[in-house]
Amino acid sequence: MADRNNEWKKEEDDEADQEIDETSYKAQKDAILLAIEVSESMLTPPPASDSKKADRDSPVQAALKCAYHLMEQRIISNPKDMMGILLFGTEKSKFHDDGSGRGGLGYPHCYLFIDLDVPAADEVRALKTLVEEGEDDDEVLKPTGETVSMSNVLFCANQIFTTKAANFGSRRLFIVTDNDDPHASDKAARSAAAVRAKDLYDLGVTIDLFPITRGDSTFQVDKFYDDIIYQDPVSGEANTTEVRSSKSGDGLSLLNSLISNVNSKQTAKRALFSNLPFEIAPGLRISVKGYNVVHRQTPARTCYIWLDGEKPQIASGETTRIAEDSARTVEKQEIKKAYKFGGEYVYFTPEEQKKLRDFGSPIIRIIGFKPRKALPVWASVKKSTFIFPSEEDYVGSTRVYTALWQKLLRDEKMGIAWCITRANAQPVLAAILPSKEQSDEDCATPYLPSGLWIYPLPFVDDLRDINPPGKLAKSSNELTDQMRTIVRQLQLPKAMYNPTKYPNPSLQWHYRILQALALEEEVPEKAEDATLPKFKAISKRAGGYLEDWSETLEQEATQAQQARAIKRDPEDGLHERPAKRSRAGSEKPSGAGLGMPQLKEAVESGSITKMTVAQLKDVLAAKGLSTSGRKMDLVERVEQWVEENT
Amino acid sequence: MADKEATVFILDLGSSMAQSHHGRAESDLDWSMRFVWDKITDVVSANRKTLCVGVVGLRTDETNNKLQDNDGYENISVLQELGPLPMSSLRSLQSSIKPSKTWAGDAISAVVVAVDMIDTFAKKLKYIRRIYLITDGQGAMDADDVEDIAKKMNDSHIQLTVLGVDFDDPEYGFKEEDKPPTKVSRVQKYSIAENEKSLRSLVDACENGTFATMADAVDRLDTPTVKSVKPYKTYDGTLTLGDPEKFPAAMQINVERYFKTHVARPLGASTVVVKSEGAGTQSTETADGDQMEGIEFSGVKQARTYKVNDPDAPGGKRDVEFDSLAKGFEYGRTAVHISESEHNITKLETRKSFTIVGFIPWDKYEMFLNLGETCVTHARKFDEKSEVALSSLVRALLEVESYAIARIVTKDGKDPLLVLLAPHAEPDWECLYDVPLPFAEDIRSYQFPPLDRVITVSGQTLTKHRFLPSDELEKAMSNYVDAMDLSTEPAEYAPIDDSYNPSVHRINNAVKSRAVHPDAPVGPIPEILMRFSSPPQDLIEKVQSRVDSLIETAEVKKVPPKVKGKRRRDAVKPISGLDVDALLGEERKGQISPDNAVPDFKNALEIAASEEALQDAAKQMGAIIRTLVTDSFGDSKYAQAIECLGVMREELVNMDEPKLFNAFMRDLKKNLLSGALGGDRRDFWFKVRWSRLGLIDNELSEPSDVTPDEASEFYKSR
Repeated sequence: MADRNNEWKKEEDDEADQEIDETSYKAQKDAILLAIEVSESMLTPPPASDSKKADRDSPVQAALKCAYHLMEQRIISNPKDMMGILLFGTEKSKFHDDGSGRGGLGYPHCYLFIDLDVPAADEVRALKTLVEEGEDDDEVLKPTGETVSMSNVLFCANQIFTTKAANFGSRRLFIVTDNDDPHASDKAARSAAAVRAKDLYDLGVTIDLFPITRGDSTFQVDKFYDDIIYQDPVSGEANTTEVRSSKSGDGLSLLNSLISNVNSKQTAKRALFSNLPFEIAPGLRISVKGYNVVHRQTPARTCYIWLDGEKPQIASGETTRIAEDSARTVEKQEIKKAYKFGGEYVYFTPEEQKKLRDFGSPIIRIIGFKPRKALPVWASVKKSTFIFPSEEDYVGSTRVYTALWQKLLRDEKMGIAWCITRANAQPVLAAILPSKEQSDEDCATPYLPSGLWIYPLPFVDDLRDINPPGKLAKSSNELTDQMRTIVRQLQLPKAMYNPTKYPNPSLQWHYRILQALALEEEVPEKAEDATLPKFKAISKRAGGYLEDWSETLEQEATQAQQARAIKRDPEDGLHERPAKRSRAGSEKPSGAGLGMPQLKEAVESGSITKMTVAQLKDVLAAKGLSTSGRKMDLVERVEQWVEENT
Repeated sequence: MADKEATVFILDLGSSMAQSHHGRAESDLDWSMRFVWDKITDVVSANRKTLCVGVVGLRTDETNNKLQDNDGYENISVLQELGPLPMSSLRSLQSSIKPSKTWAGDAISAVVVAVDMIDTFAKKLKYIRRIYLITDGQGAMDADDVEDIAKKMNDSHIQLTVLGVDFDDPEYGFKEEDKPPTKVSRVQKYSIAENEKSLRSLVDACENGTFATMADAVDRLDTPTVKSVKPYKTYDGTLTLGDPEKFPAAMQINVERYFKTHVARPLGASTVVVKSEGAGTQSTETADGDQMEGIEFSGVKQARTYKVNDPDAPGGKRDVEFDSLAKGFEYGRTAVHISESEHNITKLETRKSFTIVGFIPWDKYEMFLNLGETCVTHARKFDEKSEVALSSLVRALLEVESYAIARIVTKDGKDPLLVLLAPHAEPDWECLYDVPLPFAEDIRSYQFPPLDRVITVSGQTLTKHRFLPSDELEKAMSNYVDAMDLSTEPAEYAPIDDSYNPSVHRINNAVKSRAVHPDAPVGPIPEILMRFSSPPQDLIEKVQSRVDSLIETAEVKKVPPKVKGKRRRDAVKPISGLDVDALLGEERKGQISPDNAVPDFKNALEIAASEEALQDAAKQMGAIIRTLVTDSFGDSKYAQAIECLGVMREELVNMDEPKLFNAFMRDLKKNLLSGALGGDRRDFWFKVRWSRLGLIDNELSEPSDVTPDEASEFYKSR
């Protein structure tokens, strides 16, 4: 029960972090429908080549592999979001069975390979079979000889979104094709498609185009797709981003190129907050939106599964509240909030509660500027939020934001801002930090957008006291020099930390195993872990230097030990000189420093029983032994250790 | 575990304390008690058995102390024995703190009583011992033994703080002119100034003595007390570079790692309900030590019930017993059951370690990658070799201006984390700070358009555009930013050491003051918590001209609220600019098909030329919504219906036609609740309520005849 209670609590905490668009009645979920054209040219593999690295995938294969990759990834990163795959131009037709009996008749040459939904294991398996084993028993991937009406394809997508992803905050149609002019000679068909595209726009579906090109050919969007694609209606951003085409070449396979393009659009852009006033100076406000660009991804929590039915089913939980005194069910309106204080509840009315949390309306207000250097590296408490200008509330926001961004970059400064990002959110002081232009050679974060970041600063309440352990033995210049060489030798590739190179090993393992269980595959034995240091490379590049360093260290350590031994009062015996403590520190003597001789003596004389529990625990911890149990257990463990090690 | 503390407050309750001075509205006693209550409620709120408080009344009408048999200990009463202080004791204490009718009582004797209390209570155990003496110095005192008493206190390590009402304090800058003239008591002659002097000499003789005037202490009350937390060790083991198992010369340093920052959270409110009649009236609770009279609240527990889909059950769902459920995970929408014996199967096996992956230069890292709280790592205590080794690493990193990237597993089986290790050195102190880094999955690849150029629809790149700052704007911004520098004022403005978490202290203050004064209203936010909510006023005044010129060149204009929901949207066009509506022609004629309801409805409104056409569109849409609800099996079509309803509401607001929507809404609600739409549809009504899709009020759309109050009443009424 306690366990589940905590889970519930966690949920409540999370609530504060949720991404919500205050004004919307829409579910904050995302649905992607991947529409892949099946045609002779899309099925043609690239010209054969002897090179081992050569691309062997036809565009359709690459697109399906990309879809498989996307699906695996989204199960991890967006477990609640939907995805579907629609093949068009196929000889066969298939539509979801909605019970109305219309089946696939309405949409010829549209084959709904995977219906729009949160992916299930069966679907992952079906896609995997098609992609990896190339088994196409149903002859799904057989192109039709007829022309496919694009208006029909778009209306098919419309119906899928309308019924399967009703009321979703984000619905996107990804079109993968190599045909830039499907209705070259048929003006009526072109117009019909434009009309259906407008319907999708009105429905709130965004169309993203992933053109595929080959060799030197280009994909001319103005032939057809400029009539189909609209500017993103919700972003409020002033500027547009370009459409990138995917192709094989430059050492990049078509698949990789496609994956990279699809990935860049993969996450639905959900704003953490919208049109928040950003007060740059008294009397000068612009509006910005906030985005959670950096966010720790954790495995989904365990759920409860009902096994007594035909298929295992996830049981959805509902919480009812019960009064502790009478065990009666409590209605929502009865619930009050009170603070525990000295064993009693101190109560405030809801209005008072509201007043206590009210520090003014939401705003990011700059109170001044400081040099970047004034930000100590340890001043870190929470992730940062990316902000980007929006013209919706203040015309001119973009240029003012850009001017500030450029100034902060150029002169290495940061803004200090008072931030309340949502009504009743806790105020924080934050640094406003600029990120460099991604194409800039000096840019340390080419994988992040350029603009301004809200970097929360710690309050004095968040600082913990540190107890310096007293005067420390120090390294000589020689030893430092040796270490310096090692540091230089072992720089990371491109001299930067690129998170995209380090997948989270425990998260990957979690889903790897789940996938194996769900698809009834063999459970892998060993996890891939990119975060493990490359030990071989370290030995190869710095082994010799490490040996030199170790040798010097031995000498200097001996000197330091001797120097300290002289200072030590030999009479002190058991009672170690108390370590110097900081202001708030305790005076608890540490047992960790007791050497073998002292311990042995203590065991023999029996004075070990006079040591405090804390001292005993220190001793045990220092020897890497368990510190659990009662005092007698601890004493016994120390005695045993002394016995075994003398 | 924090340190144990024993604190005794000596409160002067003499009749003179009932007077008020220097224009203060409160009596001297009430004024002084502000300080005392603050300290005492700190203790109550900590709710720790090891924080002990005692209270001694000085110049009380009665005499009640252990030394009262001796001469000179009259009119001193122990009001609260040393011990933990629950809320109930606080309340009884409150009632006993009232000015007496007497002048007599020796403050120095009271100190002796307090010392005795502490000695008896804390014995030789490790306690932080404190005595606060609060007095106006009006009672007679015998200052002969001051030296001995001070020695006694020094031996017991007691810290004495004397807070005098209107005592002179040159440091604080207070001097009371016209000290009351020497008064003559029946027993002996003494003067107030003499008393101040005696107390000061007592404090001076103490090693840990403080002497201050009350005004100073009361002033400082606004400065929040920061709760100090004992260091928490997050890792204890080796820091390595290379694989020590395969390569003997690998770096291996014994280290300890502690929190450096850890977010302090405001006091959390518990969920409670007013106690129900009969189920625990006040008198029945006395048996339990933690329950006291005056509690009218009871805690709330959570109970969870579980449901699964069952097409045969009414509403498509049915309850299942918790005991019949197994644990598992979701893989997409597939439930993956994991048996009890394999519950760890998805956990990565790891071994405790802290090992360096590589190094990067300082300028190749951006702080906004930091994903959370900082820890500090230093060499294990009394381990010279590790100290020297870590020192060489710290110094080398400082010299090469580099950070290390390391992988840490704090305990066997814990998830690995990557951290950035930054060197830090002071004359006597060398350490590494670390912050957690994001993994690949933690970065979301959102695309944003470039800031320094504009790409047109035709693919051209522009460097001059209204979205880009002009040279003048850049200059004005630069001047403004330079002028608003906070680092070179007399001292750095808004340093971390001076910034208090407003939420934490606001709630703390309010809870504490409510505990002492249950009937007083919530006070305003203390000034000190709002200090950094806006730029320093004097600085702004200095740089006002630059602010003005920035505003002028920026030319930012607020979008008037009305335009946001303009009556007719501009004809939306695809990138090519094609007029799609023209293509549509007469084809649809305002007909709304249930298959394409949302686009057809929007289109119908767009082409509607008359009031009738609008009404017709609304009517068609309304019919579609009803059908969706009626045909819905369980909640299968609710989402579609809500979407249509939302679009209908939004568009009719934009068209300034709230009445059309409101009429439909009223009728829909009636039908939902009466069961006219295919049975019990209350659950759909809840969804409407939850999505706030009820009546459009006249704040949202002017022509509406519904007030905001009526609109919110509409949600509530059945």
